[in-house]
Amino acid sequence: MNRGLLLKSLIDARAVTVLLATAMLLAEGVLSYVLPTVMTDFSSQILQVPFIRTMISALLGADIGDSLVPATFIAIAWVHPVVLAIVWTHAIVFCTRVPAGEIDRGTIDLLLSLPVSRWQVYVAETVVFLGTGLAVLAMGMLGHRLGILSLAPRDRPGLGRMLVIVANLYCLYMAVGGLAFLVSAISDRRGRAIAAVFGILLASFLLNFLAQFWPPAQAVRFLSLLNYYQPLPLVRTGDLPVWDIFILTGFAAVTWTAGGVWFARRDVCTV
Amino acid sequence: MSVSVIVTEQLTHRYGVRTGIERLDLQVAEGSLFGFLGPNGAGKTTTIRVLLGFLRPNGGRASLFGRDCWRAGARIRQDVGYLPGDLRLYPSATGRELVRIFGLVRHRDLAAPGRDLADRFALDMSVPVRKMSRGMRQKLGLILAMAHEPRLLVLDEPTASLDPLMQDELIQYLRGNAAQGHTIFFSSHTLSEVERLCDRVAIVREGRLVANEPLESLRARARRRFTIRWTSEQVSRDVVPPGFLRLDERREHTWHGSLKGEVPELVRWAATQPIEDLAIGHPDLESLFREYYTREASVT
Repeated sequence: MNRGLLLKSLIDARAVTVLLATAMLLAEGVLSYVLPTVMTDFSSQILQVPFIRTMISALLGADIGDSLVPATFIAIAWVHPVVLAIVWTHAIVFCTRVPAGEIDRGTIDLLLSLPVSRWQVYVAETVVFLGTGLAVLAMGMLGHRLGILSLAPRDRPGLGRMLVIVANLYCLYMAVGGLAFLVSAISDRRGRAIAAVFGILLASFLLNFLAQFWPPAQAVRFLSLLNYYQPLPLVRTGDLPVWDIFILTGFAAVTWTAGGVWFARRDVCTV
Repeated sequence: MSVSVIVTEQLTHRYGVRTGIERLDLQVAEGSLFGFLGPNGAGKTTTIRVLLGFLRPNGGRASLFGRDCWRAGARIRQDVGYLPGDLRLYPSATGRELVRIFGLVRHRDLAAPGRDLADRFALDMSVPVRKMSRGMRQKLGLILAMAHEPRLLVLDEPTASLDPLMQDELIQYLRGNAAQGHTIFFSSHTLSEVERLCDRVAIVREGRLVANEPLESLRARARRRFTIRWTSEQVSRDVVPPGFLRLDERREHTWHGSLKGEVPELVRWAATQPIEDLAIGHPDLESLFREYYTREASVT
């Protein structure tokens, strides 16, 4: 592993990582505090409104049952659009830097003039991506643990169950990153790459959402990345979602490898 | 016999239907100061990009130090320093951080040589790139390209944004480098830069090589400018220019033009004429290069 490339990648990513890690800490802290403590009081009213019930089920990607317990709200805190937006933003912003971002701003000339192969550049970028992603999710976990301190100890989910959710979310993060690496590898413009990945994720989100109440979407729901990230059953059972993790990491591996092969073979030109 | 550091044979690269370079044959000897000239869009940067392994040739081959530029790019670049024409640096990093990063990538401690070069070019290395002026960024780019003392230095428009004193400093540094056996590949569209530094020049136009020869032989072929001041306007009008003079302008007492023949020939002829003053300039490379830039010329 080339330490210089790692350092370059870290310096380049430090600002966005600190910003998003802080945002994750705050978002998880607030959601984990507000949702179970405040919203539980209104759970019976919420369940009586069919539209809201459907919306929550759609967001969670699973039936919420007949009662809204603190565990349900904790699950919501991990699929909340703000949390997903933070995680996706980090993955997309990070993984579209090489090569699309570097080509776009012209720094690729300097980077590729160094005595390293493109695969070395790609791998170093990936290692920092994985490390900083872990830091962002760890901050989310910290926020979550602080947020649930207000709950009665019996209502607090165990650390093990939460780690399973975070592991699943991390796999989703890797899948988004892999996709972003692939799109970046075939693009010369970072803006276009970001827009393309964001568009795919938005479609993925909507598909998973619609699948809860629209049968045609249900048939193709397996195409949505969010189909493989459903925190509610994990909060309830604590079982490791082996199949979901397998699908997400498999998708990440395939797209990441395809991106690397493309990057290694393509012409790189800033004009 | 000197070893060739850069060799291209029938090198071709196209951007879709547009030609970047076409069947380019080039050899650059070790220790030479090689000028690579051409107008904007002629193919200079494309050639450099192929040599550094950024672009894959569509035809022919390119090698540095005897290794294929595409396949052995990472190994080759160990001995290469490169300053891009349109230099962009990481905005959040300082000069010192970049030198450290480059040193780590190259597995060498570049702090001391980086500091020496920063002193030489009067650059504050603690300033983040985003706060640097264009000239400061250019100096930093040069430091990053030169700190590891590469065997081959590829410079694309290196004096852009440098003040005249720094240009002198750079040229002095490059001459010293070449004297130690390092090779300088100096790409530019400005003749005066190349003329000051290089001992050999190649000219590329519309992707093709139109000249490749020592600067001295180009100088020998370049015409000298002359100015003749006649004793009267009447004489200036009456005298018929001989065949070895190309008259560009005849105004009042004075003729301006270029010499197609030899200087002694002009001096002998002038001695027989009612001339008040005669001035003969240095070989005018600028005109010669303009001809290369604008007309089809055969490869030398």
